[in-house]
Amino acid sequence: MTLTAVNLELRKTRRLRVVLVCAVMVAAVVALTCANLMSDSARAGFDDPGAQPWESLLMSYVMVTAMTSPLLVAVLASRQVDIEHQGQGWMLSQVAGLRPGRLCRAKATVLGALLAVAVPVQTALVVMAGLAAGITVPLSPGVWVQYAVGLLLVDLALLCLHVWLAARVENQLVGMGVGLLGAFCGVFSLLMPPALARVLPWGYYAVVSPLRMGDDGFAALTPGYGWLAVFLAVVAVLFAVAGHRFDRTEA
Amino acid sequence: MNDVITTHHLTKTYGPRTVVDDLELRVPQGCVYGFLGPNGSGKSTTMKMLLSLARPSRGEITLLGRPMNRETRPALLREIGSLVEAPPGYAHLTGRENMVIVQRMLGLSDRQVSRAVATVRLQEHMDKLVRAYSLGMKQRLGIAMALAREPRLLILDEPTNGLDPAGIEEIRGLLVSLAEDGVTVMVSSHLLDEIDRMASVLGILGRGRLVFQGTRAELFDRSTPDLLVDTPEPGRALALGVPAVRSERGLRLSGLGDDDTAALVRRLVGADVPVHGVRRVQQSLEEVFMDLTGREGLL
Repeated sequence: MTLTAVNLELRKTRRLRVVLVCAVMVAAVVALTCANLMSDSARAGFDDPGAQPWESLLMSYVMVTAMTSPLLVAVLASRQVDIEHQGQGWMLSQVAGLRPGRLCRAKATVLGALLAVAVPVQTALVVMAGLAAGITVPLSPGVWVQYAVGLLLVDLALLCLHVWLAARVENQLVGMGVGLLGAFCGVFSLLMPPALARVLPWGYYAVVSPLRMGDDGFAALTPGYGWLAVFLAVVAVLFAVAGHRFDRTEA
Repeated sequence: MNDVITTHHLTKTYGPRTVVDDLELRVPQGCVYGFLGPNGSGKSTTMKMLLSLARPSRGEITLLGRPMNRETRPALLREIGSLVEAPPGYAHLTGRENMVIVQRMLGLSDRQVSRAVATVRLQEHMDKLVRAYSLGMKQRLGIAMALAREPRLLILDEPTNGLDPAGIEEIRGLLVSLAEDGVTVMVSSHLLDEIDRMASVLGILGRGRLVFQGTRAELFDRSTPDLLVDTPEPGRALALGVPAVRSERGLRLSGLGDDDTAALVRRLVGADVPVHGVRRVQQSLEEVFMDLTGREGLL
Protein backbone atom coordinates (compact mmCIF):
# COMPACT_ATOMS: atom_id res chain seq x y z
CA MET A 1 0.00 0.00 0.00
CA THR A 2 2.89 2.37 0.77
CA LEU A 3 4.35 1.84 -2.69
CA THR A 4 0.92 2.45 -4.19
CA ALA A 5 0.61 5.64 -2.17
CA VAL A 6 3.99 6.85 -3.43
CA ASN A 7 3.02 6.05 -7.03
CA LEU A 8 -0.22 7.95 -6.59
CA GLU A 9 1.67 10.94 -5.22
CA LEU A 10 3.91 10.89 -8.27
CA ARG A 11 0.80 11.01 -10.45
CA LYS A 12 -0.55 13.91 -8.44
CA THR A 13 2.61 15.96 -9.00
CA ARG A 14 1.54 16.39 -12.63
CA ARG A 15 0.92 20.08 -13.37
CA LEU A 16 1.85 21.01 -9.81
CA ARG A 17 5.16 22.30 -11.19
CA VAL A 18 7.11 21.07 -8.19
CA VAL A 19 9.99 20.08 -10.47
CA LEU A 20 9.92 23.55 -12.04
CA VAL A 21 9.86 25.21 -8.62
CA CYS A 22 12.81 23.07 -7.60
CA ALA A 23 14.70 23.85 -10.81
CA VAL A 24 14.12 27.61 -10.43
CA MET A 25 15.29 27.46 -6.82
CA VAL A 26 18.40 25.48 -7.78
CA ALA A 27 19.19 28.03 -10.50
CA ALA A 28 18.68 30.88 -8.03
CA VAL A 29 20.95 29.24 -5.46
CA VAL A 30 23.67 28.68 -8.03
CA ALA A 31 23.35 32.25 -9.33
CA LEU A 32 23.43 33.83 -5.86
CA THR A 33 26.30 31.64 -4.70
CA CYS A 34 28.40 32.28 -7.78
CA ALA A 35 27.67 35.99 -8.15
CA ASN A 36 30.89 36.85 -6.35
CA LEU A 37 32.95 34.76 -8.76
CA MET A 38 32.64 37.54 -11.31
CA SER A 39 34.26 40.21 -9.15
CA ASP A 40 37.83 41.22 -9.93
CA SER A 41 38.92 40.83 -6.32
CA ALA A 42 37.72 37.24 -6.23
CA ARG A 43 39.19 36.40 -9.61
CA ALA A 44 42.56 37.69 -8.46
CA GLY A 45 42.76 34.92 -5.87
CA PHE A 46 41.64 32.02 -8.06
CA ASP A 47 45.16 30.61 -8.27
CA ASP A 48 46.24 31.56 -4.75
CA PRO A 49 45.58 28.92 -2.03
CA GLY A 50 45.99 31.65 0.57
CA ALA A 51 42.98 33.48 -0.85
CA GLN A 52 40.88 30.36 -0.14
CA PRO A 53 38.69 30.66 -3.27
CA TRP A 54 36.94 27.28 -2.74
CA GLU A 55 36.33 27.99 0.91
CA SER A 56 34.89 31.38 0.00
CA LEU A 57 32.60 29.77 -2.55
CA LEU A 58 31.51 27.06 -0.11
CA MET A 59 30.79 29.62 2.63
CA SER A 60 28.74 31.58 0.16
CA TYR A 61 26.88 28.37 -0.72
CA VAL A 62 26.24 27.66 2.97
CA MET A 63 24.73 31.11 3.49
CA VAL A 64 22.58 31.03 0.37
CA THR A 65 21.23 27.54 1.08
CA ALA A 66 20.50 28.42 4.71
CA MET A 67 18.35 31.24 3.36
CA THR A 68 16.65 29.49 0.44
CA SER A 69 16.20 25.89 1.61
CA PRO A 70 13.53 26.64 4.26
CA LEU A 71 11.54 28.46 1.58
CA LEU A 72 11.96 25.65 -0.93
CA VAL A 73 10.74 22.94 1.45
CA ALA A 74 7.81 25.11 2.56
CA VAL A 75 6.74 25.72 -1.05
CA LEU A 76 7.10 22.08 -2.07
CA ALA A 77 5.20 20.77 0.97
CA SER A 78 2.48 23.36 0.56
CA ARG A 79 1.92 22.58 -3.13
CA GLN A 80 1.82 18.83 -2.62
CA VAL A 81 -0.44 18.90 0.44
CA ASP A 82 -2.83 21.70 -0.45
CA ILE A 83 -4.33 19.59 -3.25
CA GLU A 84 -5.72 17.24 -0.60
CA HIS A 85 -7.47 20.10 1.19
CA GLN A 86 -8.82 21.55 -2.05
CA GLY A 87 -9.91 18.27 -3.60
CA GLN A 88 -11.32 16.44 -0.56
CA GLY A 89 -8.39 14.10 -1.04
CA TRP A 90 -8.07 13.18 2.63
CA MET A 91 -11.57 11.76 2.65
CA LEU A 92 -11.24 10.16 -0.77
CA SER A 93 -8.12 8.34 0.42
CA GLN A 94 -9.58 7.41 3.78
CA VAL A 95 -12.61 5.69 2.31
CA ALA A 96 -10.20 3.79 0.06
CA GLY A 97 -8.31 2.62 3.13
CA LEU A 98 -5.39 5.02 2.76
CA ARG A 99 -5.07 6.82 6.06
CA PRO A 100 -3.84 10.45 6.23
CA GLY A 101 -0.61 9.62 8.04
CA ARG A 102 0.43 7.27 5.28
CA LEU A 103 -0.55 9.84 2.70
CA CYS A 104 1.77 12.34 4.41
CA ARG A 105 4.61 9.83 4.44
CA ALA A 106 4.08 9.20 0.73
CA LYS A 107 4.19 12.93 0.05
CA ALA A 108 7.38 13.33 2.08
CA THR A 109 8.92 10.41 0.17
CA VAL A 110 8.16 11.87 -3.25
CA LEU A 111 9.31 15.38 -2.35
CA GLY A 112 12.32 13.97 -0.52
CA ALA A 113 13.33 12.10 -3.68
CA LEU A 114 13.10 15.37 -5.60
CA LEU A 115 15.34 17.07 -3.05
CA ALA A 116 17.73 14.12 -3.17
CA VAL A 117 18.26 14.92 -6.82
CA ALA A 118 18.16 18.71 -6.51
CA VAL A 119 20.75 19.11 -3.72
CA PRO A 120 23.57 17.10 -5.40
CA VAL A 121 22.84 18.74 -8.77
CA GLN A 122 22.86 22.18 -7.16
CA THR A 123 26.13 21.44 -5.36
CA ALA A 124 27.71 20.06 -8.51
CA LEU A 125 26.62 23.14 -10.48
CA VAL A 126 28.22 25.46 -7.92
CA VAL A 127 31.49 23.52 -8.10
CA MET A 128 31.37 23.47 -11.89
CA ALA A 129 30.73 27.20 -11.91
CA GLY A 130 33.82 27.66 -9.75
CA LEU A 131 35.90 25.58 -12.14
CA ALA A 132 34.44 27.36 -15.16
CA ALA A 133 35.19 30.73 -13.60
CA GLY A 134 38.83 29.71 -13.44
CA ILE A 135 39.60 28.60 -9.89
CA THR A 136 42.81 26.64 -10.25
CA VAL A 137 43.49 25.97 -6.59
CA PRO A 138 42.99 22.23 -6.00
CA LEU A 139 39.47 21.29 -4.92
CA SER A 140 38.76 19.17 -1.84
CA PRO A 141 35.63 17.37 -2.99
CA GLY A 142 35.15 15.63 0.36
CA VAL A 143 34.11 18.77 2.16
CA TRP A 144 31.56 19.63 -0.57
CA VAL A 145 30.10 16.13 -0.48
CA GLN A 146 30.01 16.29 3.30
CA TYR A 147 28.10 19.55 3.23
CA ALA A 148 25.74 18.39 0.47
CA VAL A 149 24.81 15.30 2.50
CA GLY A 150 24.28 17.38 5.65
CA LEU A 151 22.22 19.92 3.73
CA LEU A 152 20.05 17.19 2.23
CA LEU A 153 19.42 15.60 5.62
CA VAL A 154 18.38 18.91 7.19
CA ASP A 155 16.17 19.63 4.17
CA LEU A 156 14.49 16.24 4.54
CA ALA A 157 13.87 16.78 8.24
CA LEU A 158 12.35 20.20 7.65
CA LEU A 159 10.34 18.81 4.74
CA CYS A 160 8.70 16.32 7.10
CA LEU A 161 7.81 19.12 9.51
CA HIS A 162 6.38 21.23 6.69
CA VAL A 163 4.35 18.35 5.23
CA TRP A 164 2.83 17.81 8.65
CA LEU A 165 2.17 21.54 9.11
CA ALA A 166 0.61 21.87 5.65
CA ALA A 167 -1.61 18.88 6.36
CA ARG A 168 -2.82 20.11 9.73
CA VAL A 169 -3.23 23.80 8.92
CA GLU A 170 -5.41 24.27 5.88
CA ASN A 171 -4.33 27.87 5.29
CA GLN A 172 -1.06 27.41 3.43
CA LEU A 173 0.01 30.98 4.18
CA VAL A 174 0.86 29.71 7.66
CA GLY A 175 3.33 27.18 6.27
CA MET A 176 4.79 29.78 3.93
CA GLY A 177 5.13 32.20 6.82
CA VAL A 178 6.98 29.58 8.83
CA GLY A 179 9.22 28.95 5.82
CA LEU A 180 9.99 32.67 5.59
CA LEU A 181 10.76 32.80 9.29
CA GLY A 182 12.97 29.75 8.78
CA ALA A 183 14.90 31.54 6.05
CA PHE A 184 15.78 34.35 8.47
CA CYS A 185 16.60 31.91 11.24
CA GLY A 186 18.70 29.82 8.84
CA VAL A 187 20.91 32.74 7.88
CA PHE A 188 21.18 34.17 11.36
CA SER A 189 21.94 30.78 12.86
CA LEU A 190 25.32 31.01 11.08
CA LEU A 191 26.09 33.93 13.37
CA MET A 192 24.55 32.42 16.51
CA PRO A 193 26.42 30.57 19.22
CA PRO A 194 26.25 26.85 18.28
CA ALA A 195 24.25 26.01 21.42
CA LEU A 196 21.51 28.42 20.36
CA ALA A 197 21.55 27.26 16.72
CA ARG A 198 20.95 23.68 17.85
CA VAL A 199 17.72 24.71 19.54
CA LEU A 200 16.13 25.86 16.30
CA PRO A 201 15.23 23.45 13.49
CA TRP A 202 16.71 25.87 10.95
CA GLY A 203 19.82 26.23 13.07
CA TYR A 204 20.92 22.86 11.73
CA TYR A 205 21.92 24.56 8.48
CA ALA A 206 24.66 26.07 10.60
CA VAL A 207 25.32 22.81 12.46
CA VAL A 208 26.19 21.03 9.17
CA SER A 209 28.44 23.84 7.96
CA PRO A 210 32.00 22.60 7.44
CA LEU A 211 33.47 26.09 7.69
CA ARG A 212 33.39 29.06 9.95
CA MET A 213 34.55 32.60 9.56
CA GLY A 214 37.73 33.13 11.56
CA ASP A 215 39.92 36.13 12.13
CA ASP A 216 42.31 34.85 9.46
CA GLY A 217 39.77 33.83 6.90
CA PHE A 218 37.84 30.61 6.73
CA ALA A 219 38.61 27.84 9.16
CA ALA A 220 37.57 24.22 8.89
CA LEU A 221 34.88 23.17 11.30
CA THR A 222 33.78 19.70 12.22
CA PRO A 223 30.04 19.66 11.66
CA GLY A 224 27.97 18.62 14.67
CA TYR A 225 27.06 15.19 13.34
CA GLY A 226 26.07 13.94 16.76
CA TRP A 227 23.60 16.80 17.18
CA LEU A 228 22.42 16.31 13.63
CA ALA A 229 21.74 12.64 14.36
CA VAL A 230 19.75 13.59 17.47
CA PHE A 231 17.80 16.20 15.48
CA LEU A 232 16.99 13.71 12.71
CA ALA A 233 15.92 11.10 15.23
CA VAL A 234 13.68 13.57 17.05
CA VAL A 235 12.07 14.68 13.77
CA ALA A 236 11.60 11.06 12.68
CA VAL A 237 9.87 10.20 15.95
CA LEU A 238 7.74 13.35 15.86
CA PHE A 239 6.73 12.69 12.25
CA ALA A 240 5.83 9.08 13.04
CA VAL A 241 3.81 10.05 16.13
CA ALA A 242 2.12 12.92 14.28
CA GLY A 243 1.24 10.57 11.41
CA HIS A 244 -0.21 8.04 13.84
CA ARG A 245 -2.27 10.73 15.53
CA PHE A 246 -3.35 12.06 12.15
CA ASP A 247 -4.59 8.59 11.25
CA ARG A 248 -6.85 8.71 14.26
CA THR A 249 -8.20 12.17 13.47
CA GLU A 250 -11.89 12.23 12.63
CA ALA A 251 -13.11 13.78 9.43
CA MET B 1 -35.48 -8.42 2.82
CA ASN B 2 -31.98 -8.20 4.33
CA ASP B 3 -30.80 -5.02 5.96
CA VAL B 4 -27.63 -3.65 4.43
CA ILE B 5 -27.08 -1.16 7.21
CA THR B 6 -28.07 -1.70 10.80
CA THR B 7 -26.98 0.34 13.76
CA HIS B 8 -27.61 -0.39 17.40
CA HIS B 9 -27.54 2.39 20.00
CA LEU B 10 -25.28 4.40 17.69
CA THR B 11 -24.29 7.54 19.55
CA LYS B 12 -21.77 10.30 18.95
CA THR B 13 -20.90 12.93 21.48
CA TYR B 14 -18.48 15.81 21.30
CA GLY B 15 -17.77 16.75 24.89
CA PRO B 16 -21.13 17.39 26.53
CA ARG B 17 -22.92 17.73 23.17
CA THR B 18 -24.72 14.67 21.80
CA VAL B 19 -24.84 14.95 18.02
CA VAL B 20 -26.23 11.50 17.26
CA ASP B 21 -28.32 9.86 19.92
CA ASP B 22 -29.05 6.14 20.19
CA LEU B 23 -29.67 5.58 16.50
CA GLU B 24 -31.29 2.34 15.35
CA LEU B 25 -31.02 2.47 11.57
CA ARG B 26 -32.35 -0.27 9.32
CA VAL B 27 -31.59 0.20 5.65
CA PRO B 28 -33.10 -2.53 3.50
CA GLN B 29 -31.24 -4.00 0.56
CA GLY B 30 -31.80 -2.57 -2.91
CA CYS B 31 -33.70 0.55 -1.91
CA VAL B 32 -33.06 4.26 -2.03
CA TYR B 33 -33.06 5.20 1.64
CA GLY B 34 -33.74 8.87 2.11
CA PHE B 35 -31.99 10.18 5.19
CA LEU B 36 -33.73 13.41 6.08
CA GLY B 37 -33.20 15.99 8.70
CA PRO B 38 -32.72 19.70 9.16
CA ASN B 39 -29.22 21.13 8.93
CA GLY B 40 -27.23 20.13 12.01
CA SER B 41 -29.47 17.20 12.86
CA GLY B 42 -26.59 14.71 12.69
CA LYS B 43 -26.94 13.26 9.18
CA SER B 44 -23.36 13.85 8.07
CA THR B 45 -21.95 12.65 11.39
CA THR B 46 -23.97 9.45 11.08
CA MET B 47 -22.72 8.88 7.56
CA LYS B 48 -19.15 9.53 8.64
CA MET B 49 -19.52 6.95 11.39
CA LEU B 50 -20.87 4.45 8.86
CA LEU B 51 -17.76 5.08 6.75
CA SER B 52 -15.34 4.95 9.71
CA LEU B 53 -14.47 8.60 9.21
CA ALA B 54 -15.69 9.29 12.73
CA ARG B 55 -15.62 6.98 15.73
CA PRO B 56 -18.90 6.23 17.46
CA SER B 57 -18.93 7.15 21.14
CA ARG B 58 -21.22 4.19 21.71
CA GLY B 59 -23.09 1.57 19.76
CA GLU B 60 -22.50 -0.87 16.93
CA ILE B 61 -22.64 -0.69 13.16
CA THR B 62 -23.28 -3.66 10.90
CA LEU B 63 -22.76 -3.17 7.18
CA LEU B 64 -23.51 -5.74 4.51
CA GLY B 65 -24.07 -8.29 7.25
CA ARG B 66 -20.70 -7.79 8.91
CA PRO B 67 -19.90 -5.75 12.00
CA MET B 68 -17.82 -2.69 11.21
CA ASN B 69 -14.58 -2.80 13.19
CA ARG B 70 -10.87 -2.36 12.69
CA GLU B 71 -10.46 -5.82 11.15
CA THR B 72 -13.43 -5.73 8.79
CA ARG B 73 -13.11 -2.08 7.81
CA PRO B 74 -10.74 -2.40 4.80
CA ALA B 75 -12.81 -5.14 3.17
CA LEU B 76 -16.09 -3.39 3.89
CA LEU B 77 -14.91 -0.05 2.56
CA ARG B 78 -14.05 -1.71 -0.74
CA GLU B 79 -17.71 -2.57 -1.15
CA ILE B 80 -19.06 0.84 -0.21
CA GLY B 81 -19.04 3.85 -2.49
CA SER B 82 -19.41 7.21 -0.83
CA LEU B 83 -19.61 10.92 -1.33
CA VAL B 84 -19.46 12.91 1.89
CA GLU B 85 -19.61 16.71 2.07
CA ALA B 86 -18.07 18.19 -1.10
CA PRO B 87 -17.34 16.03 -4.16
CA PRO B 88 -13.72 14.87 -4.35
CA GLY B 89 -11.48 15.67 -7.30
CA TYR B 90 -8.00 17.09 -7.80
CA ALA B 91 -8.59 20.37 -9.64
CA HIS B 92 -5.19 20.39 -11.38
CA LEU B 93 -5.80 16.98 -12.95
CA THR B 94 -8.22 15.94 -15.65
CA GLY B 95 -11.26 13.85 -14.93
CA ARG B 96 -9.49 10.88 -16.47
CA GLU B 97 -6.37 11.40 -14.32
CA ASN B 98 -8.55 11.61 -11.24
CA MET B 99 -10.25 8.35 -12.16
CA VAL B 100 -6.84 6.72 -12.71
CA ILE B 101 -5.87 7.73 -9.17
CA VAL B 102 -9.01 6.08 -7.81
CA GLN B 103 -8.40 3.07 -10.04
CA ARG B 104 -4.85 2.59 -8.74
CA MET B 105 -5.88 3.29 -5.17
CA LEU B 106 -8.46 0.52 -5.27
CA GLY B 107 -6.88 -1.78 -7.82
CA LEU B 108 -9.80 -1.51 -10.24
CA SER B 109 -9.95 -2.62 -13.85
CA ASP B 110 -10.28 -0.30 -16.86
CA ARG B 111 -13.72 -1.78 -17.47
CA GLN B 112 -14.92 -0.79 -13.99
CA VAL B 113 -13.72 2.76 -14.45
CA SER B 114 -15.19 3.11 -17.96
CA ARG B 115 -18.51 1.76 -16.75
CA ALA B 116 -18.67 4.22 -13.86
CA VAL B 117 -17.82 7.14 -16.12
CA ALA B 118 -20.44 6.01 -18.64
CA THR B 119 -23.05 5.66 -15.88
CA VAL B 120 -22.68 9.32 -14.91
CA ARG B 121 -22.37 10.30 -18.59
CA LEU B 122 -19.09 12.13 -18.18
CA GLN B 123 -17.15 10.51 -21.06
CA GLU B 124 -16.96 13.68 -23.15
CA HIS B 125 -15.43 15.69 -20.32
CA MET B 126 -12.80 13.27 -19.11
CA ASP B 127 -9.91 15.16 -20.69
CA LYS B 128 -10.85 18.50 -19.19
CA LEU B 129 -9.18 19.75 -16.04
CA VAL B 130 -11.47 19.32 -13.04
CA ARG B 131 -11.00 23.00 -12.19
CA ALA B 132 -12.93 23.73 -15.40
CA TYR B 133 -15.83 21.49 -14.38
CA SER B 134 -19.19 22.88 -13.35
CA LEU B 135 -20.46 21.88 -9.91
CA GLY B 136 -22.76 19.34 -11.52
CA MET B 137 -19.86 17.76 -13.39
CA LYS B 138 -17.84 17.63 -10.18
CA GLN B 139 -20.72 15.90 -8.43
CA ARG B 140 -20.95 13.41 -11.27
CA LEU B 141 -17.22 12.78 -11.13
CA GLY B 142 -17.51 12.22 -7.38
CA ILE B 143 -20.31 9.74 -7.97
CA ALA B 144 -18.27 8.02 -10.68
CA MET B 145 -15.42 7.66 -8.18
CA ALA B 146 -17.87 6.12 -5.72
CA LEU B 147 -19.37 3.83 -8.35
CA ALA B 148 -16.12 2.64 -9.90
CA ARG B 149 -15.63 -0.05 -7.27
CA GLU B 150 -19.07 -1.43 -8.19
CA PRO B 151 -20.31 -1.02 -4.63
CA ARG B 152 -23.14 -2.92 -3.06
CA LEU B 153 -23.86 0.11 -0.94
CA LEU B 154 -23.66 3.77 -1.87
CA ILE B 155 -23.63 6.41 0.87
CA LEU B 156 -24.17 9.91 -0.47
CA ASP B 157 -24.31 13.01 1.68
CA GLU B 158 -26.37 15.71 0.01
CA PRO B 159 -25.26 14.77 -3.52
CA THR B 160 -27.47 17.38 -5.17
CA ASN B 161 -26.20 20.32 -3.13
CA GLY B 162 -25.74 23.33 -5.34
CA LEU B 163 -27.09 21.68 -8.47
CA ASP B 164 -29.59 23.29 -10.80
CA PRO B 165 -32.98 21.58 -11.28
CA ALA B 166 -31.78 19.69 -14.36
CA GLY B 167 -28.73 18.44 -12.46
CA ILE B 168 -30.88 17.38 -9.51
CA GLU B 169 -33.22 15.49 -11.82
CA GLU B 170 -30.27 13.77 -13.46
CA ILE B 171 -28.75 12.63 -10.16
CA ARG B 172 -32.16 11.53 -8.93
CA GLY B 173 -32.71 9.40 -12.03
CA LEU B 174 -29.25 7.92 -11.69
CA LEU B 175 -29.77 6.90 -8.05
CA VAL B 176 -33.14 5.32 -8.77
CA SER B 177 -31.69 3.33 -11.66
CA LEU B 178 -28.80 2.17 -9.45
CA ALA B 179 -31.28 0.91 -6.87
CA GLU B 180 -33.13 -0.89 -9.63
CA ASP B 181 -29.84 -2.61 -10.46
CA GLY B 182 -29.60 -3.85 -6.87
CA VAL B 183 -27.33 -1.22 -5.33
CA THR B 184 -28.54 0.03 -1.96
CA VAL B 185 -28.40 3.82 -1.92
CA MET B 186 -28.46 5.82 1.27
CA VAL B 187 -28.83 9.46 0.41
CA SER B 188 -29.12 12.36 2.80
CA SER B 189 -30.71 15.70 2.22
CA HIS B 190 -32.40 18.52 4.03
CA LEU B 191 -34.61 19.00 0.96
CA LEU B 192 -37.73 17.00 1.48
CA ASP B 193 -39.08 17.24 -2.03
CA GLU B 194 -35.87 15.90 -3.48
CA ILE B 195 -35.88 12.83 -1.25
CA ASP B 196 -39.60 12.27 -1.59
CA ARG B 197 -39.22 11.79 -5.33
CA MET B 198 -36.57 9.10 -5.18
CA ALA B 199 -36.58 7.32 -1.82
CA SER B 200 -38.68 4.25 -1.11
CA VAL B 201 -37.71 4.22 2.56
CA LEU B 202 -37.28 7.28 4.74
CA GLY B 203 -35.31 7.88 7.89
CA ILE B 204 -35.95 11.20 9.58
CA LEU B 205 -33.50 12.63 12.03
CA GLY B 206 -34.29 15.42 14.46
CA ARG B 207 -31.75 16.71 16.98
CA GLY B 208 -29.68 13.57 16.54
CA ARG B 209 -32.54 11.16 17.17
CA LEU B 210 -34.32 9.02 14.64
CA VAL B 211 -37.88 10.28 14.79
CA PHE B 212 -39.21 8.12 11.99
CA GLN B 213 -38.08 5.23 9.84
CA GLY B 214 -40.21 3.46 7.27
CA THR B 215 -42.00 3.91 3.97
CA ARG B 216 -43.80 7.04 2.88
CA ALA B 217 -47.15 5.32 3.44
CA GLU B 218 -46.14 4.37 7.00
CA LEU B 219 -45.14 7.95 7.61
CA PHE B 220 -48.60 9.18 6.64
CA ASP B 221 -50.21 6.44 8.70
CA ARG B 222 -48.46 7.87 11.72
CA SER B 223 -49.58 11.39 11.08
CA THR B 224 -52.99 12.70 12.05
CA PRO B 225 -54.66 14.51 9.14
CA ASP B 226 -55.76 18.06 9.83
CA LEU B 227 -59.45 18.75 10.45
CA LEU B 228 -61.36 21.33 8.40
CA VAL B 229 -64.51 22.70 10.02
CA ASP B 230 -66.79 24.55 7.59
CA THR B 231 -68.51 27.33 9.47
CA PRO B 232 -69.60 30.83 8.46
CA GLU B 233 -68.79 32.07 11.98
CA PRO B 234 -65.21 31.04 12.77
CA GLY B 235 -64.80 34.01 15.13
CA ARG B 236 -67.38 32.60 17.53
CA ALA B 237 -65.66 29.25 17.53
CA LEU B 238 -62.30 30.86 18.25
CA ALA B 239 -63.90 32.85 21.07
CA LEU B 240 -64.74 29.50 22.69
CA GLY B 241 -61.02 28.81 22.89
CA VAL B 242 -60.91 26.23 20.10
CA PRO B 243 -57.20 25.72 19.17
CA ALA B 244 -57.64 26.41 15.48
CA VAL B 245 -56.56 28.76 12.75
CA ARG B 246 -58.88 30.40 10.26
CA SER B 247 -59.13 28.71 6.89
CA GLU B 248 -60.89 29.63 3.64
CA ARG B 249 -64.21 28.17 4.70
CA GLY B 250 -63.92 28.19 8.45
CA LEU B 251 -61.28 26.65 10.74
CA ARG B 252 -58.34 24.29 10.48
CA LEU B 253 -57.17 22.18 13.43
CA SER B 254 -54.07 19.98 13.70
CA GLY B 255 -53.44 16.81 15.62
CA LEU B 256 -57.01 16.12 16.60
CA GLY B 257 -57.93 12.43 17.07
CA ASP B 258 -61.38 10.94 16.44
CA ASP B 259 -62.63 11.33 20.04
CA ASP B 260 -61.39 14.90 20.22
CA THR B 261 -63.11 15.63 16.91
CA ALA B 262 -66.42 14.34 18.24
CA ALA B 263 -66.01 16.42 21.41
CA LEU B 264 -65.23 19.51 19.34
CA VAL B 265 -68.33 19.11 17.21
CA ARG B 266 -70.50 18.62 20.31
CA ARG B 267 -69.02 21.75 21.83
CA LEU B 268 -69.56 23.89 18.75
CA VAL B 269 -73.13 22.68 18.23
CA GLY B 270 -73.86 23.15 21.94
CA ALA B 271 -72.71 26.77 21.65
CA ASP B 272 -74.92 27.33 18.57
CA VAL B 273 -72.00 27.75 16.23
CA PRO B 274 -73.26 26.69 12.80
CA VAL B 275 -71.27 23.68 11.53
CA HIS B 276 -71.85 23.06 7.82
CA GLY B 277 -69.36 20.25 7.51
CA VAL B 278 -66.34 18.53 9.05
CA ARG B 279 -63.68 16.74 6.97
CA ARG B 280 -60.16 15.50 7.18
CA VAL B 281 -57.43 16.84 4.95
CA GLN B 282 -54.16 14.99 4.44
CA GLN B 283 -51.06 16.86 5.63
CA SER B 284 -48.33 17.41 3.11
CA LEU B 285 -45.14 15.43 3.58
CA GLU B 286 -43.47 18.65 4.52
CA GLU B 287 -45.97 19.28 7.30
CA VAL B 288 -45.48 15.74 8.62
CA PHE B 289 -41.75 16.23 8.51
CA MET B 290 -41.96 19.56 10.29
CA ASP B 291 -44.12 18.05 13.01
CA LEU B 292 -41.68 15.19 13.49
CA THR B 293 -38.60 17.38 13.64
CA GLY B 294 -40.18 19.93 15.92
CA ARG B 295 -40.30 22.55 13.15
CA GLU B 296 -36.62 23.23 13.60
CA GLY B 297 -35.57 23.24 9.99
CA LEU B 298 -36.71 25.06 6.93
CA LEU B 299 -37.02 22.85 3.90
